[in-house]
Amino acid sequence: MSQYQFSLRLGDRVKAEQELMTSVRKATNPDETAPKRKHVRNMIVFTWDYKTSMPVWDSMKSQPLKANEVQCYKAIISLHKVIREGHHVAIQEALTQTKFLEDLAHGLGGGAYSGWRNYSVLIRAYVNFLLAKLEYHRLHPEFNGMFDYKEYVSLRGTNDPNEGYETIADLMSLQDRLDEFQKLVFRNFQPASNNECRIASLVPLVEESYGIYKFATHMLIAMHQRVDGAEEALEPLRKRYNSQHYALRKFYYECSNLRYLTSLINVPR
Amino acid sequence: MSAKGVLRTVKNYTKGYTPIQMKVRKATSNEPGSPPGSLMSEIAQATFNQTDFLGVMEIIDKRMNDKGRLWRHVFKALTVLDFLLHAGSPYVVEYAIDNIFIVKTLREFQHIDDSGRDQGSNVRQKAKELTALLSDPAKLKEERKNRN
Ligand SMILES: CCCCC/C=C\C/C=C/C/C=C\C/C=C\CCCC(=O)O[C@H](COC(=O)CCCCCCCCCCCCCCCCC)COP(=O)(O)O[C@@H]1[C@H](O)[C@H](O)[C@@H](OP(=O)(O)O)[C@H](OP(=O)(O)O)[C@H]1O
Ligand SMILES: CCCCCC=CCC=CC/C=C\C/C=C\CCCC(=O)O[C@H](COC(=O)CCCCCCCCCCCCCCCCC)COP(=O)(O)O[C@@H]1[C@H](O)[C@H](O)[C@@H](OP(=O)(O)O)[C@H](OP(=O)(O)O)[C@H]1O
Repeated sequence: MSQYQFSLRLGDRVKAEQELMTSVRKATNPDETAPKRKHVRNMIVFTWDYKTSMPVWDSMKSQPLKANEVQCYKAIISLHKVIREGHHVAIQEALTQTKFLEDLAHGLGGGAYSGWRNYSVLIRAYVNFLLAKLEYHRLHPEFNGMFDYKEYVSLRGTNDPNEGYETIADLMSLQDRLDEFQKLVFRNFQPASNNECRIASLVPLVEESYGIYKFATHMLIAMHQRVDGAEEALEPLRKRYNSQHYALRKFYYECSNLRYLTSLINVPR
Repeated sequence: MSAKGVLRTVKNYTKGYTPIQMKVRKATSNEPGSPPGSLMSEIAQATFNQTDFLGVMEIIDKRMNDKGRLWRHVFKALTVLDFLLHAGSPYVVEYAIDNIFIVKTLREFQHIDDSGRDQGSNVRQKAKELTALLSDPAKLKEERKNRN
């Protein structure tokens, strides 16, 4: 059936890349707003249509990201979404781009971003979180960008509970990183601004954290059913799970007060 | 016929759309109101023909990817797709599952109109429902069966 996909959506590759370039430019323009969903969506759809995200990275590299903190932050938000929602190949390809991400974290000439809007620290923290996510995916290639449990089970085949232990412990460490970063975003809100651009970065973080949470829940239940003496052996994981549960509730509660965010996605409770 | 309807007819011919494509364009037009059931049934029937099927999906795909200002195109295209998934040929089901990312990525569709109204929420809701349906082929199969 994939021949239909071929005949309907894969027209002119050159034109598609030009439109992609326009979307990248518009998504990372200097206006201090959220990157427009339409443009980010075009990037994501491109990766599915053409099974590659490399032109997204190439287009990003041709934008003056390091000269403007807002443009840079919008670029990172967009890339995060492409890695999450794009074709699986986007993860593999992002792993070849860590140097570029590190460079973004350091800004122009290796110093901090000179803007007065204080994105410097957020940019660095966001890049660090993204790198941690990518590292997780490198170690556990059986995950998709959204940490979908169903897909994980079908991709993985084996169910060795010991492997499960590490998978889930690493995932919880990533959740801790996410939690630290989201707190930093909230602390960085500026009183004289609507903070739309900062809130925009919370959107994928809510989705990501909820994906991790749901995954951990499924996995813990499965492990309790499989492992002998699970009650005791899994005690440390359970403890961690509970404290993350509490932290997440707090995060989602705070998000539920942000109108831009709640109008866009359902914040879990 | 409205001025827009005239424009659409002009475009139908200048762009060389087939008769069934013109019907899909009409069903997913920018005018208020939902696509008439009789029109959708006609389109659903047409999808049992391979050539018409391709023509129908081409227009639906265009409409689903239209700009924010034309959110009605997007919303109505999702509505028609929903109908076709239930009453159209199995090709539609296979095609839509293959291309689920198109619908999935519309779950965050946004459009605030000139008067400040959020016109995106209808699209987001519809995209969520359809994504859930497409992620559960067994359920979809059941729903298709119950229809007949
Ligand atoms: C004897 C007579 C004389 C004279 C004179 C004159 C003359 C007169 C002249 C007149 C001008 C008359 C009317 C001008 C009308 C509109 C001005 C255009 C304003 C304009 O730019 O409007 C365009 C639409 O226009 C058309 O599609 C199409 C517009 C078509 C227009 C057509 C026009 C036609 C005209 C004709 C002319 C011409 C001419 C000629 C002449 C010849 C003579 C001899 C944009 O409209 P928009 O703001 O809604 O669109 C936005 C915009 O593109 C954003 O950039 C886009 O977002 P990004 O992707 O983020 O950039 C938005 O996307 P989303 O909604 O998805 O977020 C779009 O929705
Ligand atoms: C005495 C007798 C007379 C007869 C005759 C006849 C004659 C004839 C006349 C005819 C007009 C013929 C052609 C019209 C010319 C240009 C067409 C413009 C292209 C055009 O599409 O512009 C529009 C609207 O533009 C404006 O808002 C701005 C519109 C501005 C328009 C300006 C126009 C100007 C022109 C001038 C002039 C002048 C004329 C003439 C001359 C004559 C002289 C003798 C921009 O379109 P849009 O971006 O707003 O979106 C449309 C729109 O939302 C439609 O509702 C939608 O269709 P449906 O959803 O199917 O209803 C469209 O969807 P599709 O993409 O699927 O088709 C959309 O693409």
